[in-house]
Amino acid sequence: MTSGIRSQFWHSDGRRLSGLSTLLLLLPFFAIIAFVFVYPIGQLLWISFTEPKPTLDNYARVVTNPVYARVLLRTLWTAVLVTGLCVILGFPVAYYMSRARAAVAAFVGVCVILPLWSSVLVRTAAWSFLLQRQGLVNSGLMATGITSEPLKLLYTQSAVVVAMAHVLLPFMILPIFGALRSIPDDYMRAAAVLGAPRFRTFLEVILPLSLPGIASGSLLVFLTALGFFITPALLGSPQELMIATLVSQQIREVLDWPFASALVGVLTLFVTLLALIFSKTLRFDRLMGAQ
Amino acid sequence: MAMNREQTAGASIRISRLEKRFGNVSAVDGVDIDISAGEFLALLGPSGSGKTTILMSLAGFEFPTAGNIVIGSEDLTYVPANKRNLGMVFQNYTLFPHMSILDNVAFPLKMRGVAKPERYARAEEALATVRLAGYGERFSSQLSGGQQQRVALARAIVYRPRVLLMDEPLSALDKNLREDMQLEIKRLHAELGITVIFVTHDQSEALTMADRVAVLKDGRIQQIGPSRELYERPANLFTAGFIGEMNFIGVTVESVGEAIAVSLPSGEHWNVPSTSAVDPLQAGQKAVLAVRPERLQIGGEGAAFAFHVKLADIVYAGSALLLIGHLPDGTEIRARLPGASDLSTLTPGATAVFSVPKEAILLYAGGAK
Repeated sequence: MTSGIRSQFWHSDGRRLSGLSTLLLLLPFFAIIAFVFVYPIGQLLWISFTEPKPTLDNYARVVTNPVYARVLLRTLWTAVLVTGLCVILGFPVAYYMSRARAAVAAFVGVCVILPLWSSVLVRTAAWSFLLQRQGLVNSGLMATGITSEPLKLLYTQSAVVVAMAHVLLPFMILPIFGALRSIPDDYMRAAAVLGAPRFRTFLEVILPLSLPGIASGSLLVFLTALGFFITPALLGSPQELMIATLVSQQIREVLDWPFASALVGVLTLFVTLLALIFSKTLRFDRLMGAQ
Repeated sequence: MAMNREQTAGASIRISRLEKRFGNVSAVDGVDIDISAGEFLALLGPSGSGKTTILMSLAGFEFPTAGNIVIGSEDLTYVPANKRNLGMVFQNYTLFPHMSILDNVAFPLKMRGVAKPERYARAEEALATVRLAGYGERFSSQLSGGQQQRVALARAIVYRPRVLLMDEPLSALDKNLREDMQLEIKRLHAELGITVIFVTHDQSEALTMADRVAVLKDGRIQQIGPSRELYERPANLFTAGFIGEMNFIGVTVESVGEAIAVSLPSGEHWNVPSTSAVDPLQAGQKAVLAVRPERLQIGGEGAAFAFHVKLADIVYAGSALLLIGHLPDGTEIRARLPGASDLSTLTPGATAVFSVPKEAILLYAGGAK
């Protein structure tokens, strides 16, 4: 690990940095992470085990009360749907970008990245505007005669999934694009000359080679979706809570910090497990560019 | 050997009036080549000469603007690459990194619907043909460049195509490996009887490997012929300069008869046999006299074809000795002599006499470069 880090740092005259200098360079980053992430999370988890007295009761409540178990399952299922939708919507865009001329690819790339610079709140509000009873989607559906009266689109699980997929799409497109672009054109040519029709080339060569990109995109989207707060809060049904909304309720309305902490603890456990599974089975270090 | 000659014998190729334009740029400009079945043809030229475009048209990655390509008896000009049934080896190996070596070699058979057991048996056999039996379980990242290229070769012949296209297949390898692979490819060519089209910018590779070499420049064929003909009697000044080393001396033609009388910048007058003239020449015109550096001999004052050169440099390189000198008009003259030659009194700054055997002299129309 240290050698991996050390090898990345060089003096401007070409000498390798010593371990100590490397440590000093990295210190501010780790200090901030420790202060704003490790410490508060640790504190929360501590509370979940120790209040009101040293106990596992808070966790028992999460697991045994079907209401909370259902919230947890719903959150996981929503994240799965969002991830799936992002793969389906994102892959063609990434594929197009990887095959297009440089200028076109750059333009599409900007279109993909640009929304990242507007706030999630704005993008979510846009969806509530589109999906309301007199919104563009409903009036469009009625104008084309698909429905005769406005559908209930807002405050549904579908609205949450669609809007979250929209918000998280760039995190799927960019890793897939990266994987696709690193496939040399000659692989496609080789497959063709060896007798593969286009579709077989895609299935046997392009798709397998883009799997690392799909995997890292899915991991990013899935893990972010698990903890998503604003979109479910604004577009979701109050009867169909997701875990982040539940945590917020417990902290701000019920003021039950120990139970909220236990919920966070369960979520953290899931995220950590998934990240570990991904990194073991899909060589996460390789996805990040290591050889 | 199970892959017998009958099954894989090569196909003839006829390229007629091939043209390929990209916008206003002509990459290939009216190329005709007839390649006989089982021939080994090298396409040689500098970058941008059109050699790669011709290969891409043969493979089906580019469709020509005009002209046609007939392989065997089939017109394949506009047939997609995956339906041509040609073998191809690329410069960068292009082994699929997510498949084992065996799966890579079996890939074309899989695309042809060959059942799994036969597919793998034939892939093993092809690996044995390139001396990589037992490497099937590995992945391309575990193989050296030379091994990868041999796997690529196995993959290109496993479905017994009648034509093998090679796009600078050796240029990514270091020198020793390259020579090994040259022999390997020659051996396979002889063994399989397959027609090979080999693109390269390395002239010694082309001369060593091919039955015939086509020299290209600016999308046109400059000369096509056996190596020896190309080297010993280049058809024009471009080929003369592109293939091997050549001294070019600007001369004036004084008279044309049974012999051609020319005057050299160093003051000598030679009566060159008329067979030396590659282009038709007329009295009074400027011409270029070309002679290979290894055909120059030191000494021979008073011989029929001797001239004086002021030496600038003498470079000893073990087996050979390179002499660099100049004529009074500045023309550089290079001579390659055996390393053990006795130069006795010759030092840089001295004037040396070189003589040339008459059959080594070539005359072209036009001014010196």
